[in-house]
Amino acid sequence: MAILEVRDLRARYSAGGPEILKGISFRVEADDFFAVIGPSGAGKSTLIRCINRLVEPSGGEILFYDREVTTLPGRQLRLLRRDIGMIFQEFNLIDRMSVMDNVLSGRLGYTGNLRSLFRAFPRDDIQRALDLLDRVGLMDHVDKRADELSGGQRQRVGIARALMQNPKLLLVDEPTSALDPKISREVMALIKQMATEFKVPCLCNIHDVQLAMEFCNKIIGLQDGNKMFDGPTGKMDQAMLDEIYAMEVL
Amino acid sequence: MDRTATPARTWSRFKFPDSLIRYGVWLSVLVFLAYTVEYLEIPLDRLLGMLGRMGSTIANRYYPPDIDYIMDADYLEYVLETVQMAYLGALFGLLASVPLGWFGSYNMTPSRRYVYPIARLIVMGCRAVHEMIWAILFVTIIGFGMLPGVLALMFFCTGFAGKLIAEEIEAIDMGPVEAMRASGANLFQTMIFGVFPQVRVAITGIAIYTWDVSFRAATVVGFFGAGGMGWYLKRNILQIETERVAAILLSILALVLISEALSAWARARVMKMK
Repeated sequence: MAILEVRDLRARYSAGGPEILKGISFRVEADDFFAVIGPSGAGKSTLIRCINRLVEPSGGEILFYDREVTTLPGRQLRLLRRDIGMIFQEFNLIDRMSVMDNVLSGRLGYTGNLRSLFRAFPRDDIQRALDLLDRVGLMDHVDKRADELSGGQRQRVGIARALMQNPKLLLVDEPTSALDPKISREVMALIKQMATEFKVPCLCNIHDVQLAMEFCNKIIGLQDGNKMFDGPTGKMDQAMLDEIYAMEVL
Repeated sequence: MDRTATPARTWSRFKFPDSLIRYGVWLSVLVFLAYTVEYLEIPLDRLLGMLGRMGSTIANRYYPPDIDYIMDADYLEYVLETVQMAYLGALFGLLASVPLGWFGSYNMTPSRRYVYPIARLIVMGCRAVHEMIWAILFVTIIGFGMLPGVLALMFFCTGFAGKLIAEEIEAIDMGPVEAMRASGANLFQTMIFGVFPQVRVAITGIAIYTWDVSFRAATVVGFFGAGGMGWYLKRNILQIETERVAAILLSILALVLISEALSAWARARVMKMK
């Protein structure tokens, strides 16, 4: 059964503006680790943000566990987002809060307003946060402010925060482009390992083709809002890559 | 080198239509200045003689200031009342301006079509009306005393702080906000986690600044019977007790200087915390 099914997805940022996604369709299965590759401006970020509707699609269907996403009203949408974890290129941590509070913020979708106001998260959430921080190797930094950490450590906080949600799908937006090559590999390995362990399918934007080939089992190639390739990593060859990256979109 | 082969290149900082507008604006400012001085028939010769007259007036009528008068227990009680009015006005003004600043920030407002313009309008309204006019208005509605003064200061501070807070919220990094939204947080939770930590220090600075302007305004709202030391000022001006007026003005100057110095120090401390 498909976890996520996207049909003829279209998006544009303003009513008369250019179409960023021109009818994208694909399926994500339960054990998939999808890479979305393509040149800058191909629509990778827009594609991923349409799935949890940080960007509103202008057409097409998105089915998440057979439920239509594009028409969900406010509260239903928040319940859906609760089930979809997201990891960001610039980490998007709350710099002035501690690592612990950052990880706990992944539980906001499950927490009431009053508890949120006083940051009084339930005991179970705190236990879970500590377990995850241990798993990503940040036990020594629990009470540090997020802006005291290095880039790689910050992304680990981002990973723990996404997993706090107990997600049924992980959206990963260029997790390594703010990191150096060695740390990039470590971070990708960690995401892959956690995704396997927690049995969460992933949809991962990545501009580094080498990392994509190494860590992902399926690849979607985007070019200027069109899908050029969709298949297992083994079927991707140099000719196809050349074609995808042939046209630089500014 | 043969200079005749290529024509000399020219470059000017301001290209044609821009340069015309630029110099046109300067010219019109000067023309309007001349016109205004002419129209208002400002006697420039009297302006030049003003300094000497001011010196003699102060020397003859306002000197020596009646220091005993401002050391009087009754007067000091009014000074204390002024401080308390300024405090209450700033506090309640800030309490109102935090939600108004949130609702009136274009990026975080609950509704851009309805809530945003209403919040902006309220803050603008508070700013548009001078604190003296608020004081007169509230004295007319609820009579003399401290309450109209506090209300006038509160409206004044709401207008002052509301705009600054809205601007701070509009300048935040939207990354954490996006992350909170993506995790299923509602708008309130997004504010608490994604926005508030980013503006906390700025709001503390704004709060101190608000106290500062509130205190300055509080020294004079009493002029219209809205409590505080302003009433003393008015009474003595009407009674032509110029030496007492001088003493009161000196006391206001001293208090405002102290309050400015304290708030400058406090804000510098807060900004260092980041």
